[in-house]
Amino acid sequence: MKIKRRLKHFRQLLTCVILTAIMVFWLTPLSGAAQVKELKIGIGVDADTLNPQEQTTTLFQNICDLVYDNMYYQDPDGNVHPRLLLSHKVSDDGLTWTLHLQKGILFSDGTPLNAAVIKQTWDRILDPKMRVPLRFAVSMVKECVIIDDLTVQLNLKYPFAPLDATMSLALVSPISPLALEKYGEDIRQHPVGAGPYVLAEWVKGDRIVLTRNKTYWGKAPTVDKLTFKIVPEATTREAMLRTGEIDICYKPLPSNVAALKAMSNITVEMPLDTRTIFMGLNCLKGATTDKKVRQAFNYAIDKKAIVDRILFNTAQPMDGPVSPKVFGYAKMDHQFDYNPEKAKQLLKEANFDFSKTISMRTPNGRYLFDKQVSEVVQAYLQAIGVKVELRTYDWPTYVAGLLKPIEESELEVFLLGWGPLFLDADMALYGQFTTEVNPPKGLGSSFYTNPAYDDIMKASRKAQDPKERLALLKQASEMVWDDCPWIWLHVEKFVLAYSSKIKNLVVTPTEKFFPTYITME
Amino acid sequence: MINFLIKRLLAIIPVLLGISLLLFFMLRMLPGDPAQVLAGQMASPEDVQIIRIQMGLDQPLHIQYISFLNRLIHLDLGLSARTQNPVIQEIWARLPNTILLALCAITLACVFGIPAGIIAAVRPYSWVDYLVTLASLFGISMPVFWLGIMLMIVFSITLQWLPAGGIGTWKHLVLPSITLAAFVVAFIARMTRSCMLEVLAQDYVTTARSKGLKEKMIILKHALKNALIPIITVVGLQFGLLLGGAVLTETVFAWPGLGRLIVDSILARDYAMIQGSILVFGLLYTLVNLLVDLTYAFVDPRIRYE
Repeated sequence: MKIKRRLKHFRQLLTCVILTAIMVFWLTPLSGAAQVKELKIGIGVDADTLNPQEQTTTLFQNICDLVYDNMYYQDPDGNVHPRLLLSHKVSDDGLTWTLHLQKGILFSDGTPLNAAVIKQTWDRILDPKMRVPLRFAVSMVKECVIIDDLTVQLNLKYPFAPLDATMSLALVSPISPLALEKYGEDIRQHPVGAGPYVLAEWVKGDRIVLTRNKTYWGKAPTVDKLTFKIVPEATTREAMLRTGEIDICYKPLPSNVAALKAMSNITVEMPLDTRTIFMGLNCLKGATTDKKVRQAFNYAIDKKAIVDRILFNTAQPMDGPVSPKVFGYAKMDHQFDYNPEKAKQLLKEANFDFSKTISMRTPNGRYLFDKQVSEVVQAYLQAIGVKVELRTYDWPTYVAGLLKPIEESELEVFLLGWGPLFLDADMALYGQFTTEVNPPKGLGSSFYTNPAYDDIMKASRKAQDPKERLALLKQASEMVWDDCPWIWLHVEKFVLAYSSKIKNLVVTPTEKFFPTYITME
Repeated sequence: MINFLIKRLLAIIPVLLGISLLLFFMLRMLPGDPAQVLAGQMASPEDVQIIRIQMGLDQPLHIQYISFLNRLIHLDLGLSARTQNPVIQEIWARLPNTILLALCAITLACVFGIPAGIIAAVRPYSWVDYLVTLASLFGISMPVFWLGIMLMIVFSITLQWLPAGGIGTWKHLVLPSITLAAFVVAFIARMTRSCMLEVLAQDYVTTARSKGLKEKMIILKHALKNALIPIITVVGLQFGLLLGGAVLTETVFAWPGLGRLIVDSILARDYAMIQGSILVFGLLYTLVNLLVDLTYAFVDPRIRYE
């Protein structure tokens, strides 16, 4: 009797369990279900603004990408894919770009994305009264004209072949016009876009939380919630990754990369970056005006040793004037391999005055081991008999010194980094070496002045055919490489450490990562 | 008492004015252009100039200062250059965290520091005394960031008892509080020891002993009460320092407090933010000092404020 009763109870229980299981299955929508509840990412600083037009820091442009989506998406190999824009057409003279929008895209607040919004975005970017620090990147655009509801036309001041890749920047991501009306410029605290995520919570100094945009027009993200935890100290971020408090550690210390790699439950990814680190040499003033001296300085430095011993291989020596990751890169035939004897001989040929002290300056803490790298370069130069005095500055002071016109410039040898924002050589080769970017107009602080070079670079912007452009960029590269306005040091790597459970994380050479479609084991 | 309070509160105004004046001009003597920092490394000079004008940095210094004071009178600390948010709002978001951490640390320091100092003073030159002195020496000379990281390695990574960083639960408070308290506890212990030693050598202690009072009574009631004034002073000063000086601890344990905000603001030359936070620190510091003065009267009835 007792056994029978127990059996009956058991049967009832079993039925209940099965029914509940069926209910749960039935209620959970099969498509679009997130696989990962929450992903925690440890980052170093809090965001200043989440207005994509104002943002200058890659990490927060990355967050903007997730909230606003992009006009185009440039994959880690440099291919441009449609996103908010479906396609574009360029006129023969390269001065008119017709942009076609995807149909039916809504912002997360329900406002439709149409040509009027795109025009408003461009108008805001081009309005000199608006704070748009990266405006220079789209300075070729004169105006945006509406053609029909899904088509706009950009009229350019001068042809600019890589404009499609430029439109992968958060800089040109549209903001919901309704939200702009509601919040005004306070939109920087209340971002509303058409991206896969929406801002759920922003606790100043502590965390930024994004949740899935339920009405996202594209493929539904696999992660429900992204929490960006602000952990200023890299050591602490690593500790939190090890304890499982975070899943992704943004830029761990290079010195610990080997230890992290050795752990079976942590994956370290470090793709080559677009950022090149170099010692600028003043081409218009002082001892470095002589090309032979500049070449001698290049021979005097063992760049391989710097990368190995100081940067723990989180960088790679430069073998061309731009990062191998960008379109337009070409490995140079002639390399300035470490050769102190050749350096000394070149200095002798240049009648170098060894009694004079060269002044070298460096920022401290801006780039990976910047001060240490400068100290080593100083030591290498001293080894060939050049007297060098090294001065260290904090970043704001340093930048102020970089921007002075040649008459006031005190620059002789100075460490700096330059990273194109998308995978194209133009921002490096044009933005650093043409005469028009010499300070105070631009940041070409080496004052490299070469009319022949300027002509090639201008022609490259007009060239619509990629092959033709590539050839021109190679020609320019060879010219500037030989002239040595920089001591060509190294290309940084973007280091990201994360839990090995995470698969399919997209990590790009522009220091971005997209956890949108990851899976977790 | 009320008169004294009003007088002291009024005295805060010139102090803050002094701070603001010094701060304002010292900041502007720093090299580096806030507009340039804000605009970014790649911005064109025209854009930088527009930002400069928007921030009012093109005005002569004294005009800038007057407009700053004018806003200050209306309790407006201006907008942060970096985030374009009201400075007050940014500070308010972090101030409770800083105060919480400082309170925990100072409580911890008192709970351990004062008894340790008393014990060391009661048995001077014994092994207990040497132990306390040695521990204090460690506490004072240990760099905060090193201690923080060591604690993290032991309690977070190895034992997995406590989180390594962030805020949220009481568990998050433990490691930063201990780290911050380590220095202060040592300071308080040494101060307590020397004050107690001085008091214990006084005649009235000898009298109390000859009366046959219990040693416990003598130490806690007669000696400690009289030694307390300098200890309170030290605790007050240390608390004031903790409110403003927890930068390293906040950084190591990802604690979203004011110290970190100030450092970030200095690096970005965010004038309004630096001025605002330092003024708030100044205000807190003077208030803590006032509180300390008031506590004197409670501890020592002979002290009266007229």
